[in-house]
Amino acid sequence: MSETTLSTALPPAGRSLGQDAWVRLKRNKAAVASAIVLMLLAFAGIVGPYLAPHPYDRIYPQYVRTPASLEAYPRKDAIAPAFMSALERARVQIGEIAVSGTTVRAPISSDAPLDPRIVRYVDRSDLFSNARLEGLDGKALTAGATSGTIVADVHRLRFLFGTDANGRDLLSRILIGIRISLAIGVLASAMSLLLGVAYGAIAGYLGGRIDNVMMRVVDILYSLPFIFFVILLVVFFGRNFVLIFIAIGCTEWLDMARIVRGQTLTLKRQEYVQAAEALGVPDADIVRRHIIPNALGPVVVFVTLLVPKAILLESLLSFLGLGVQEPLTSLGLLIAEGASNMRGAAWLLIYPAVTLTTMLFALNFLGDGLRDALDPKDR
Amino acid sequence: MEKQSLLKVRNLRVEFSTNDGVVEAVKGIDLDLRSNETVAIVGESGSGKSQAMMAIMGLLAANGRASGSASYRGQELIGLGESGLNRIRGSKITMIFQEPMTSLDPLYRIGRQLVEPMVHHRGLAARAARARAIELLELVGIPDPGRRIDSYPHELSGGQRQRVMIAMALANEPDVLIADEPTTALDVTIQAQILTLLADLQSKLGMAIVFITHDLGIVRRFADRVYVMRAGEVVEQDHTGSLFANPSHPYTRMLLAAQPTGRKTPPPPDSPPLLEGRDVNVTFRIGGGWFSRSVDELRAVANASVSLRRGQTIGIVGESGSGKSTLGRALLRLVPSRGTIRFEERDISDADKNHMRPLRKRLQLVFQDPFGSLSPRMTVGQIVTEGLRVHMPKMPAHERDLRASEVLREVGLDPAVANRYPHEFSGGQRQRIAIARAMILKPGVVVLDEPTSALDRSVQKQIVDLLRDLQSAHGLSYLFISHDLAVVRAMADYIIVMRAGRLVEEGPTDAIFDSPREDYTKSLMAAALDGTPFRNTPARA
Amino acid sequence: MIVYVLRRLASAIPTLFIIVTLAFFMIRLAPGGPFSLERPLDPLIMQNLERAYNFDKPLWQQYLIYIGNLLQGDLGPSFTRRDFSVGDLFRTGLPVSIALGSLAMSIALVVGVLLGALAALRQNSWVDYTVVGTATLGITIPTFVIAPLLSLSFGVMMGWLPAGGWGTWQHMVLPVATLALPQIAIVARLTRGATIEALRSNHVRTARAYGLPARVVVGVHALRGAILPVVSYLGPTAAALLTGSVVVETIFGIPGIGRYFVQGALGRDYTLVMGTVVVIACFVIVFNLIVDILYAWLDPRVRYD
Repeated sequence: MSETTLSTALPPAGRSLGQDAWVRLKRNKAAVASAIVLMLLAFAGIVGPYLAPHPYDRIYPQYVRTPASLEAYPRKDAIAPAFMSALERARVQIGEIAVSGTTVRAPISSDAPLDPRIVRYVDRSDLFSNARLEGLDGKALTAGATSGTIVADVHRLRFLFGTDANGRDLLSRILIGIRISLAIGVLASAMSLLLGVAYGAIAGYLGGRIDNVMMRVVDILYSLPFIFFVILLVVFFGRNFVLIFIAIGCTEWLDMARIVRGQTLTLKRQEYVQAAEALGVPDADIVRRHIIPNALGPVVVFVTLLVPKAILLESLLSFLGLGVQEPLTSLGLLIAEGASNMRGAAWLLIYPAVTLTTMLFALNFLGDGLRDALDPKDR
Repeated sequence: MEKQSLLKVRNLRVEFSTNDGVVEAVKGIDLDLRSNETVAIVGESGSGKSQAMMAIMGLLAANGRASGSASYRGQELIGLGESGLNRIRGSKITMIFQEPMTSLDPLYRIGRQLVEPMVHHRGLAARAARARAIELLELVGIPDPGRRIDSYPHELSGGQRQRVMIAMALANEPDVLIADEPTTALDVTIQAQILTLLADLQSKLGMAIVFITHDLGIVRRFADRVYVMRAGEVVEQDHTGSLFANPSHPYTRMLLAAQPTGRKTPPPPDSPPLLEGRDVNVTFRIGGGWFSRSVDELRAVANASVSLRRGQTIGIVGESGSGKSTLGRALLRLVPSRGTIRFEERDISDADKNHMRPLRKRLQLVFQDPFGSLSPRMTVGQIVTEGLRVHMPKMPAHERDLRASEVLREVGLDPAVANRYPHEFSGGQRQRIAIARAMILKPGVVVLDEPTSALDRSVQKQIVDLLRDLQSAHGLSYLFISHDLAVVRAMADYIIVMRAGRLVEEGPTDAIFDSPREDYTKSLMAAALDGTPFRNTPARA
Repeated sequence: MIVYVLRRLASAIPTLFIIVTLAFFMIRLAPGGPFSLERPLDPLIMQNLERAYNFDKPLWQQYLIYIGNLLQGDLGPSFTRRDFSVGDLFRTGLPVSIALGSLAMSIALVVGVLLGALAALRQNSWVDYTVVGTATLGITIPTFVIAPLLSLSFGVMMGWLPAGGWGTWQHMVLPVATLALPQIAIVARLTRGATIEALRSNHVRTARAYGLPARVVVGVHALRGAILPVVSYLGPTAAALLTGSVVVETIFGIPGIGRYFVQGALGRDYTLVMGTVVVIACFVIVFNLIVDILYAWLDPRVRYD
């Protein structure tokens, strides 16, 4: 009766379930905020290392374990003593050292004529460069003069997050760590997605004995400790980036396989799949048109929750010293270093820990948000 | 005859706050219940009939809010605190629910659940309460109650669970019993037994009953007075007799007229058999885990023979688990079976998927659940044209769309719906889409598996009419599977009655309905179509 | 019931056998050996060592010898800790790990279930939001972040508790907290979700409709069902917790068995690695069995067969 006319009152184009989910997701503030945070983190990981003032593997021996600070190093009051100690081996008398802007100058004198090569002592220090001798009048030093002024440019470096126990800039290392952690998280998840979906879909679709055997294999792999595989893989092939995400992917696909199998079994019983069978739709098309699109929701949700898990595992591996190798780093490795340096250099632990936690938090919230959006009855 | 009103509802409103704003489920209803009478509240799904009672019992979901007034013997119930409600709920007013399978706690023995309200409301000692629980189980017709009292709910059948619920409802001798669609989830014969039991107990114990239902057939045989609800409002109320004799509101008239009527005329006797099954057997293996080698076999269909002629509609009737759906699917070669199946004179008993594919075009299936049978991520257009893609892959897209428009119009839908998704439609509309999907291929045989069971009565009638129109327009043959005898009578010209996998009886529709031979068929007919009121039936089932 | 337990234990034997076999050949196929990693040894000594440990025999014979010893309960000598047998190492380490793990487990169970149920009962209130927020945080922060942070704040900065070491009950506080916090979070989330679902279920509606007081409705009818997912979560988790955590043991310097696996694998201490695998697998099998029995006891719909 009235229900047939109802449709004309509706707008012509329908809203698919995906679009509905998108609208619901956008309403979820925590998920949106997480997505923004993640985009910022991804941006920092991809572009950050190029923009960072220091290469992540550059060692500044003078700046070992420098606390985090907005101020540039060396501090103003530290320049003169440093200049003094740099000149110590030049065996000259040093007058009052004057610091102005990025240059430092000091009158020097000696019993013998000044050797112009003494500027090397200054240049050798990381703090100073372009050292030169000038006459007291500011002109070029005349040969054989016993007194003059030594002038040098001061390198003023900023270490916003401080430096680590080797004198490397922590900010740059965190940026590269974000890149590595995110990359491993995404790649490992993609890996387990591929393995898990293929394995689970085959087991679920074929069913019966084959399914039984395949799932039994998964059960057995389940009861083996995870680190077992990874450690053995690492032991086999040495530590490298590719291996780590393969190892993590290889261990994390088990859950994915179970989920996909369960989904496939459920979907196979759905009436719309039976309806397609009754229409004579070939198996491949049933899988493509009916099973995959409908299994996608839970899989997408699971993948978003898998990424933080993979990141966590990589961090754990790095923490145990089985992850990426120095000078490359990841957040887990940074935390491990921070933990061993936490007495006296707490920032080394706190900054990477906060970064990792933020990343994991955002991923988890986004995953939860996606799940709520795709499965509204769960709310 | 001004009796005191036990339950007095005035201007009751129920609202739910949802993501899409506030939804008004009940829009200010008045209702009276006097002692010892049976009042039915009738309405289709979404009419607010259940929510009104939930509001009175203080059982609304967390996002629901009730306002207005509902008083029990002068005690206001709306806005009454939990402890105040708990003095009345389960003691003065009790309730039984639609879902016998889930309304009892699966983790506790039924005895414990029966005893709990007695202990809490009357302070009965455990031993006394147990003794009474056994008595009650006996009263509601549970065999061997002394043993059954220690059963878990999952060990009982649906009908038995509903009996346990009734026993629980009677335990504290309530004044009012609210029965919310208590028989909807049950098979017809069980339905009749439960209703007879309720009517019986009422005359014995003398409580008032509020009976919520969508089924007018039950109302006529059960209730003293009727309230008809629609979209949150009471549109009409009257004594049962006068309401059925002259309904005043158009909606009531429409509901009463919604019983499917008419008869199907049989096809000419010389029309050729189209789909034939001879000695069809279907067995399912159950159990057989990894370590248990013992495999049980369930014989879902045993030695069934069916012959469907061109233009004929065979109704397959039976209760849940009778194997009627399985038989339908076996004939379409969708479940593996033994026996001979012939379609258009060809033996298809051993045809595999690839051999069956070209035939699928002529053999179609429509499912019961209009919510489950449409792929949720495809548009209506994609769903309807999927068969064309399989069977006529060379057909150009615009012609497919043209065919889709035609068939959508034919099933009574606007062709513009092709771009929309199934979840945007009501149950009846979805069933039309499912029918369109079957019809676009111009099939010869359509198996209709309970196509109307999930729908409201008024929609049911529309679908029945549509199916009949399509049949006469295209000369289709139907295998109509249903437990609903009223619908079957209107649809089929030949009937097969099934029970536990076997054909019990078969014959032309009128013969089966007018003079059933088998006892089972007789009880089925009596339960579904008998007009005699339950309350005067002396015998207890 | 007893038959069921016996049958389950019997069915665990092939599983255990497969695991042991897999582990044995995997670790043996790895390059290097227990004596090749340190400074090179005198060839003669090397030969003697190899003969002493049967390394001169073909791999399959070594495998049979190992299985034979294993059947007699002998896990073999440790290669990296030469003075100890693997059995000795577990005899001293396992009680430590079990003590920490079982404490953490009990705390997680009690606190997690309480918090989760509380949050569910006060759904969408500040209590709920606090529990859910804290739980998400607890699940998110890895133990290797919590552990040093706890050690830093309570041990180093405030000096209330020892920052590491083993001996008194004070030494247990921080490690147990580290182990328990994430589990509390997970248990709380599981309980909350299951309780909310249970509260919406039809049988809880029935209990309310029959005027049962809130404590009965929640305590008897909602919580028992809600505890079921927690129980099935606890099986593998308990096994993992009781067999020690490499992170916690490393950071707090605890003599448990959690470190053996990593150390053993890196040092090619074959027997130590194998021993760890066997112990962990046994724990997993036993706890899965316990969980299944518990589950069947809580849910009469589950039958032993």
